[in-house]
Amino acid sequence: MSEYQTLSCADVSVGDKLPPLDIDISSGLIVGGALATRDFEPVHHDKSVAQASGLPDVFMNILTSQGLMSRFVTDWSGPDASIKSLDLKLGAPNVPGMVMTITGEVTEKDDSTGEVNVAVLGENNIWGMHMQGTVKLALPQEG
Amino acid sequence: MTPEEQNAFEEKIYAYSGAQVCARTPAADAVNPAMIRHWTEVMGDNNPAYTNEEWSASSARGKTIAPAAMLYVWNQEGYTVTTGRASDPQTDMVELFNEYGFTGVLGTNVTQEYFREVSPGDTVHVEMVIDNLSERKSTARGPGYFFETLATFTDQNNEKIGTQRFRVLKFIPQEQPAAAAEEKLAVPSRIASPRGHDNGWWWDACDNGQVLIQRCKNCQTLRHPPRPMCGECQSMEWDSIESSLDGEVLSYTELHHPKIPGYQYPLICAVIKLREGTNIVSNVVGCEPSDVYIGMRLKGKVEQVDEKNTLPQFYPA
Amino acid sequence: MVANIKDKAVIVGVGNTKFSKDSGVSELSLAVQAIKTALDDAGLQPSDVDGMATFTMDSNDEIEVARALGCGGLNFWGRSHYGGGAATGTLHQATMAIATGMAEVVVCFRALNGRSGHRFSSGVSGEITTADAIHWGWYMPYGLLTPASWVAMFTQRWMHNTGVTKDALFEVAHSTREYAVNNPNAFFHGRSFDRAEYDAARMIADPLALFDCCQESDGASAIILTTPERARDLRQPGVTVCGVAQASAPDQEQMTSFYRDEFAAIPEMEIAAKNVYQMSGLTPDDIDAAVIYDAFSPIVLWQLEAWNFCGFGESGDFVLDGALRADGRLPTNTHGGQLSEAYIHGVNGLVEATRLVRGQSLNQPSKNVDHALVTSGVGIPTGGAILGKLD
Repeated sequence: MSEYQTLSCADVSVGDKLPPLDIDISSGLIVGGALATRDFEPVHHDKSVAQASGLPDVFMNILTSQGLMSRFVTDWSGPDASIKSLDLKLGAPNVPGMVMTITGEVTEKDDSTGEVNVAVLGENNIWGMHMQGTVKLALPQEG
Repeated sequence: MTPEEQNAFEEKIYAYSGAQVCARTPAADAVNPAMIRHWTEVMGDNNPAYTNEEWSASSARGKTIAPAAMLYVWNQEGYTVTTGRASDPQTDMVELFNEYGFTGVLGTNVTQEYFREVSPGDTVHVEMVIDNLSERKSTARGPGYFFETLATFTDQNNEKIGTQRFRVLKFIPQEQPAAAAEEKLAVPSRIASPRGHDNGWWWDACDNGQVLIQRCKNCQTLRHPPRPMCGECQSMEWDSIESSLDGEVLSYTELHHPKIPGYQYPLICAVIKLREGTNIVSNVVGCEPSDVYIGMRLKGKVEQVDEKNTLPQFYPA
Repeated sequence: MVANIKDKAVIVGVGNTKFSKDSGVSELSLAVQAIKTALDDAGLQPSDVDGMATFTMDSNDEIEVARALGCGGLNFWGRSHYGGGAATGTLHQATMAIATGMAEVVVCFRALNGRSGHRFSSGVSGEITTADAIHWGWYMPYGLLTPASWVAMFTQRWMHNTGVTKDALFEVAHSTREYAVNNPNAFFHGRSFDRAEYDAARMIADPLALFDCCQESDGASAIILTTPERARDLRQPGVTVCGVAQASAPDQEQMTSFYRDEFAAIPEMEIAAKNVYQMSGLTPDDIDAAVIYDAFSPIVLWQLEAWNFCGFGESGDFVLDGALRADGRLPTNTHGGQLSEAYIHGVNGLVEATRLVRGQSLNQPSKNVDHALVTSGVGIPTGGAILGKLD
């Protein structure tokens, strides 16, 4: 028996809520995320460049937001699920000192394909919506 | 911009519609475990499908995969971006927008679709076009144009892996009232105590690294929080002693919700009995929330906790 | 010892607005709607009102309420301080005014947009230098900012001292929820829950989780009091104030009396209980049902002990025996309480306690309710009252 469980399509119902995830936004996360996604745009690692662009500090790059959204959903679904699409609308920036809370809810489910849509919202505690969108997952079907 | 100028500008901009930003190009590195692991570390993603070879070998997939959300990572330009991007139709178009005052840039939507999972050994190729340019729009940010890039990802066998649509707004930034902008952009710090006659001296001492306890000059009774009169003998004469910051937890709570801007979580508050006999409320730091218990011995230190605040913080003794 | 004003004032009308999470109207609008409903219930006109009592926290000036309602002039207005500590404080003010003849028809009300407007859960902030802000200044910098966090600090220690567990907190929350299921004006109308859902809810301030905490609501509640003589001619059976008291205790702070020798205690409520029992000549055995202020589940337990329904540390066993249920020893918060109906700062509790004595609760116990207890908030200067049938 594996220590890792994956939800099957039958385990999931429209309206199910995912366990919320709080992400402490630190300089380390922003710079680390930018470099792990090979994004060397200076606004993501150089505070003075970020400030010249009108923000108080370095801010999270989109590829990190996508990564956190992906992690949030597969933390819930388990490792045998495959992500089919990741659609996100971008809102306010994440800067160090903030806390982003990610919440999600199952909005659609297709038993014939095992595909499930999860509406995801990432809100930071200062400026509100950072990212909002839908992740489509394929879950293993029964058996 | 006059209507004629706008027409002339739009003619130049719309010429980029459908332009190829880059032809099909392989990533410098094939999909590899090292880059995957660096990514999962930062994201805090423990999915065994990405990094646990033993688990993956016995999974339905039979091998590890790269996180789908890394699709666009493999073909990033990398470190050279720190000194500017190489010229391509997209950067040329952006430059044109900038020349005409559309200097603001805002990514608004990004949509990735994945057709198959990739694993170490695969090589991701990308091809990108400017797919779509909107008409001029009035947006909350200011007047501007949306453009969309479409990236198509293929593997070494030219089999399609996925696509990415990225929608960007180029706009003429509107001037914001300076004060409002400043307030909105301030990095949050903890909410400080207001300082008045009866408590200001205590916080001033705290700024200087001392936790003081008010003492009645007449009957020597200690009191905290400070107040102007001794409740025992009604004397208004007082001085203070410095606390040893040796303490014991009388009660505590871990604050979960709401998360208040400026505070670092996990956050534990406690009522602490000081060796001198008075109680103080402060934070317990330097241990896991689950390690805190009633009766726990603590030792305090006065520390700068953020840009604006210096506070006593208590550590396990 | 306090003066005895037993049976000098009678509740003759009660009214609630619709409770919601977004009223879409002003707090003044809520106030006058609730008061008008209460006047209609009593069979009185706005022009009969000559006194008002509310909370220092209420945003509505009495004269604005009077003009909007079409009252005439007022002979009395009085406010009670300390948040939910003022719930029965309004009743105390009204009873004193009527007993002394300073006013004849007094409205007690509380109106708030507690969810769509200022939310208590958003915490205190230090923007102004008042005595109040200086008080909160001892807690704000550390992040101890919300009512839940202050009560959590008490609860953690009280559970440690008594060995009472979350089983008892769940029973408080679950019993009110079951009552709310039958109440169309309750937030949780028709929505039952179980232990698994309770345990799965998010933690707010350890050990308090979501369903240990009250609602944040928009709405208003009002009651009308007058003299026993006049009450006998009105539409509803009169509900008399048998006893009412307010109390603070030594070393009192607002929600943060952390400097007492033993701070996991509510001595102020014990004083109020003693004085109310003394004024009314009644004992805990005479109380048939109760509305016990429930901003948080554990505070109901502490009050059961303060009002002597059980001994120190015994409230857990008391509620786990089913005491709070409709067929139990002390049916409590039969409207759903503030945990499950709405948070109207305890004034919806005055409405429900009156209904219990009238026999009009939506969850009226089958036994005779001659006397009902109603209390104010905990951890602050507070109070309580016993209501009974007008002879």
